Amino acid sequence: MAGVSKEKADTIRGQLQDAVVQCSERCLYQSAKWAAEMALSLPEFDDSDSGSPMEDVDSQTVPRPSSISSNPDPEEARKEAKEFPLYLLAKSYFDCREFDRCAAVFLPTALPRGSPSELSPNRKTSASPETLKGKGKDPAPVEGSVLPPPNTLPDLSQKSLFLALYAKYMSGEKRKGEESETILGPADGGSIVNKELVGLSRSLEGWLADRQAKGLGHTNQGWLEYLYGIVLARGKTEDAAKIWLLASVRRYPYNWGAWLELGALFGKLEELRNFQPELPQDIMANVFLLHESQTLYQTDNTTHKALTQLQSIFPRSHFLKTERALLYYHANDHQEAESIFSALLHEDPHRLDSFADYSNLLFVMEARPRLAFLAQSATATDKFRPETCCVVGNYYAMKSEHEKAAIYFRRALTLDRNFLAAWILLGHEYVEMKNTHAAIESYRRAVDVNRKDYRAWYGLGQTYEVLEMHLYALFYYQRAASLRPYDPKMWHAVGKCFDKTDRPLHSIKAYQRALGAGTYYDSGSSFGSGASHEPPSGGLNPEILYQIALMHEKLRDVDEAASYMELTMAQEYGPGGDNESSGDEQRGPGTGATITTSEARRWLAKWEFGRGNLSRSMELANEMCQDGFEVEEAKALIRDLKARTEAHKPFG
Amino acid sequence: MSRYLTPSKIALLALISLYTDSFIPSAATIPILSFIVSYLLPIDSCQDITSQSNFSLTLPIDSLRQSTIGHPSSIPGRTVWDLLLNYLWKINSFDALHLFFDDISLLLEKSYEGQDAQELNASRPRRTLLSRSSPLGAFVRRSQVEFTRLQFHDGITLWKGFIAYRSPTIASWRRRHPGVSASIDVNLQEEPIAPEKLVRNVVYGDFDSLSLKDANISTADVENLLEFQVDQMQKMGNRLPTEFKAQIQSIIHTGVTVPSLLHYVEFLDAWRAGDYLTSFDSLHRYFDYTMHHKDRTFYQYALLNLAILQADFGCLSEAVVAMKEAISTARENNDMGCLNYSLSWLYHFGKEHPKEMAEIQRKGVLGTEREALAFLKAKAKESNMWSLLSTTLLSEARLSLSDGENVTLAFENITKASHLNIVKDVVNATGSQMAMQSSLFSRLGVSYQATLYQDMFVECYAGQSPAEDVMRCTCKSSMMLALNGRYEDALARMEDVGQEALRTLKHYHYWAASLGLLKLQNHLHRDHLIAADQVLSQLRASQQLESDVSFTMSTLEIDLHLRRCDYSTAMDLLENLVTGMDDGETDILQRVKIMILKAQIYDKSGIAQKGFSVALRAASLAHKAKILPALWEAIGAISRVLISMKEFEAAVRLMESIMPQVLECENCNLAAQSFSHLADALMGLAGDANAESLQRKERLTKALEQIDRSFDEFSRIEDVRGQCEMMAKRATIMHLNGDPVLANDCAAKYLDIRKAAKELN
Repeated sequence: MAGVSKEKADTIRGQLQDAVVQCSERCLYQSAKWAAEMALSLPEFDDSDSGSPMEDVDSQTVPRPSSISSNPDPEEARKEAKEFPLYLLAKSYFDCREFDRCAAVFLPTALPRGSPSELSPNRKTSASPETLKGKGKDPAPVEGSVLPPPNTLPDLSQKSLFLALYAKYMSGEKRKGEESETILGPADGGSIVNKELVGLSRSLEGWLADRQAKGLGHTNQGWLEYLYGIVLARGKTEDAAKIWLLASVRRYPYNWGAWLELGALFGKLEELRNFQPELPQDIMANVFLLHESQTLYQTDNTTHKALTQLQSIFPRSHFLKTERALLYYHANDHQEAESIFSALLHEDPHRLDSFADYSNLLFVMEARPRLAFLAQSATATDKFRPETCCVVGNYYAMKSEHEKAAIYFRRALTLDRNFLAAWILLGHEYVEMKNTHAAIESYRRAVDVNRKDYRAWYGLGQTYEVLEMHLYALFYYQRAASLRPYDPKMWHAVGKCFDKTDRPLHSIKAYQRALGAGTYYDSGSSFGSGASHEPPSGGLNPEILYQIALMHEKLRDVDEAASYMELTMAQEYGPGGDNESSGDEQRGPGTGATITTSEARRWLAKWEFGRGNLSRSMELANEMCQDGFEVEEAKALIRDLKARTEAHKPFG
Repeated sequence: MSRYLTPSKIALLALISLYTDSFIPSAATIPILSFIVSYLLPIDSCQDITSQSNFSLTLPIDSLRQSTIGHPSSIPGRTVWDLLLNYLWKINSFDALHLFFDDISLLLEKSYEGQDAQELNASRPRRTLLSRSSPLGAFVRRSQVEFTRLQFHDGITLWKGFIAYRSPTIASWRRRHPGVSASIDVNLQEEPIAPEKLVRNVVYGDFDSLSLKDANISTADVENLLEFQVDQMQKMGNRLPTEFKAQIQSIIHTGVTVPSLLHYVEFLDAWRAGDYLTSFDSLHRYFDYTMHHKDRTFYQYALLNLAILQADFGCLSEAVVAMKEAISTARENNDMGCLNYSLSWLYHFGKEHPKEMAEIQRKGVLGTEREALAFLKAKAKESNMWSLLSTTLLSEARLSLSDGENVTLAFENITKASHLNIVKDVVNATGSQMAMQSSLFSRLGVSYQATLYQDMFVECYAGQSPAEDVMRCTCKSSMMLALNGRYEDALARMEDVGQEALRTLKHYHYWAASLGLLKLQNHLHRDHLIAADQVLSQLRASQQLESDVSFTMSTLEIDLHLRRCDYSTAMDLLENLVTGMDDGETDILQRVKIMILKAQIYDKSGIAQKGFSVALRAASLAHKAKILPALWEAIGAISRVLISMKEFEAAVRLMESIMPQVLECENCNLAAQSFSHLADALMGLAGDANAESLQRKERLTKALEQIDRSFDEFSRIEDVRGQCEMMAKRATIMHLNGDPVLANDCAAKYLDIRKAAKELN
């Protein structure tokens, strides 16, 4: 616990606890939960006794009641005090999930959905510092398309305004869900949008511009910016969304939801890197960067270091532990990841948040009893949570009961349409069930939810490959490979597609990258069936080598091909190459004789035969007989060779 | 509540798999297999099980232990129980349970597609494969399907139930395997102790709560149980035992899914209890709940049940309408079983309530009775409904008896039915067949044979026959005992009727009426006319009396009026009775009885000759129909006429010729009357002879002898009036003989009897 001093810890704790109150006042439940968990994971310095941490916290910050926050801005505080009874009413409606009723408490008139209201008293023509553009806006504003729409919102405190607008947003989301009907049904095509977005976007734009014009921009609290950012992001206006979300986290960094929204907008590492200087330099930004690195599969040492540093501040944070486990998981260090997840499960069995990832991990590790147990404990906590359904679905998938698995994944999606893992897993199940169209749609939806998950891209590629649409597949494999540049499986797939589309040169390059990536990682893939035939550590993948050789043969570069074939064969004995015991398959440093190496040997034998190097050919053919894969052909070759030598003997 | 699988079924599967793996030596095979099978087959198919006291539907692990621990297995030193325990504790996680169910398909023979059976056999040479259609194979397959159908959380419930189920055995498992740590879940072992509690609480926290109890019994089990219950209730015609009622209520309360059959059980119970509203409601509820998944195929059964219900509660016209609809629906749906049953029921209904049948007759649903029976016989034979065929044969016999036709024909039919009962094992029809035989013999006046059949039935077939048959038979036999003057025995026999049978309202009515008749007769004999009147009014109060009971009641009522010497009322009653049975469908026995009664009334009122033709007709009818007791009675009436015409000689000859057979009837009243008639005739003869002649003396002595005999018979049935009459006659003869002392004695005795009767009164 040497990572942070008592004072600093107290400050962070105070801020986080304040954030809990602020978030719950605005009905941002998930952010409040996250902040509360983080606040509790700070180290304890009170060593008088081991009383409950909550008590200590209360005794230190006792002056104000923690259920209602005070506002430092006197103007806002005055408004809040005035609206207090209405606010309480609205909040209780929200808590009862009566969103429209909640919104109507403060905004009795419906927000404009169609055309903008022409006559507005406070129309201002000031330009805000940020350019506000968006599809969410009315597509054809008659006049002043560069001008922001006027502020139509009543003069309310920001808290009440946020609650009302957020309720609007939520009600729109709810309707959207209702109209989409069944998962993958006719109406569930992603074409249904949140109908409140237009009105919200215009109102918020007007309000923010109005504030700006009045010179009150600095008194904004960040929440409405957050909401505007969400609205823009949902309207696919991502650059503007980034700007507003950034503004939000600058004003109020402890809103984790804002960070998550922001993070979802980055599809590539480079984008994040470019954006990094603009972020505020505080602890939340660090947490954010760590989380983003994790979701972008940055499993290198810097990430681990950053994580270690954060863990010294929040030594008991389950969130950070999960991040660590996921990092190990992405790096294919399954044992390590498993032990962290398992410890997490035992510390807090009711915490379902990371169970879906844990179940993926157990699936890859083929730990069926543990997966069943995980499913059991998740079901015991809540059987109607998307995470639970995913775990159960994974269990059934592992038992090859794909129909049942699909049922559970669909159930997960019914519970939460934006649950990424379920879309991908559902796609896998449809692939298993040979329902390629449904698989493609599922993967597509997964990609729509989150562009950063390579599994969805890879799945799409695979499905198109099954359909023999290699150009399509190539595109998706490339996307996957760009997300996981160090995964040989991605490059292998890319190479294969290049081959199929008759571009051997590209194919060779892709395969070579796969070889390079293969040496980068200790072991191979983390995706799909864990029982793939990975080459042992240190060696090159003979499969890829063989493919490269074949590509060279296609290019009529036979010598190059032959040398790759030799290389393929050499993998039987591992990198040392001096291991004689080839019978010891899979165990020694080499792969031993496999179909691929045997194929390579056959190719070489034929090639030597063609070149007239009969003795070498004979040698190889005899070896082939010992491999035991293509014995008949080897024998035929030997007969051929013998006939040839017989024929040559009298003269030679 | 799960649909089918319960922890005990898992244990049975484990036992089966031990069996197929040849761990059970041949000595233990049969006991173990029969143990398994007794839990797999429907309950009623193994009848010895139901009598077994420790049989439990849920198969507690203790009884599993008891039946397996005694058998050594093929591994030395281990019993079958040890191996079973080992097997059960090897299932150490929820996943292992899945694997267990995956593996049990290996117990089965492969279907044709699965060609890898040979390989499998090669790998496990000692394995017996179960045929897919054998009872064990079917059970294995069903279990596997049901497990596949389980939702994940239902699977967890099963798993937890299983843990709870095997938990009592942990001690003996530990003893056998000291090295292995036995935890309820292998996933909980590796972790350090403190945090384990947390997870354990989440996963197995509700371990002790009641919710696990419902895992022990499945809907299929409950349905099985209810089916058995319905079967029993329908076969035996009794109600639910009270303790069973409580038990099933507790089972139903634990689970959410109530099988619709429960409503049927409730219907039967309420019906038997005479609760019209509840039974009606339950019947409708049952069919409402079954309709939706079994379509209209059960509609005719609903109507059939409804008709029977209506008829039982006296709504006869509704019953007829419902039954007609049932018949037409059954015809429409080609449901031969239902149709035949409905027709048969309608036939019997018509026998009971001829008035309601007018419409049916007009429409010609059944044709005449004979046609109906012929039709039913043909149909029953066609569709192999042996019990229906047997009942139809008996009905035919009964019909021919009641029409007064050839007795041999009746015997033939009974024999046919008996043959059928034995050959086709129609156990529950045997009772009615024996009752029929008994009544036939009692008509023939061979009372001993009749009682024998009754006793045989009650002794041997009571357990498998409908409670109603048993009760009727008991009532009949106690009636016969009463005729013989053995009131105490008769009453004791009546009391013997089980309380269980009397919980059914209909049975109780019949029983109470019979008991009332017994008492009425007793009171009449003892000359307690006021008490008799009381009983009679009580009997009259009950509305639905079977025709034979009400007939006996009427005759006894007439008897009451005769004893009061109120002949005109008696005659009126008789006339009423006659008009009531005008249609010629009544049993010939009853018609003869009425004729005889008429003759007797004429005789009592001193105009015996007026009854001559009636008595003669009765005699000829009874003779033709071979109803011997009635014949003797009729002849007695004729002899009275002869006596009144002073044709003493003929009367004596007539009476003397029938006396032996009268005695054979074991009917004390008949015998007493006959002796009395004989004595009267002899007295008449004595009067014809010269005074003081030897002949007169001889005849007087003979008459005295007959009077004594008659007196004896009367005293056996405690008939005060008869006794007194005989005493008076005796005193008169004594007086004639000039023996005033003896005459005085007799007179004193007469007074004593009177007094004793009064005192008892």
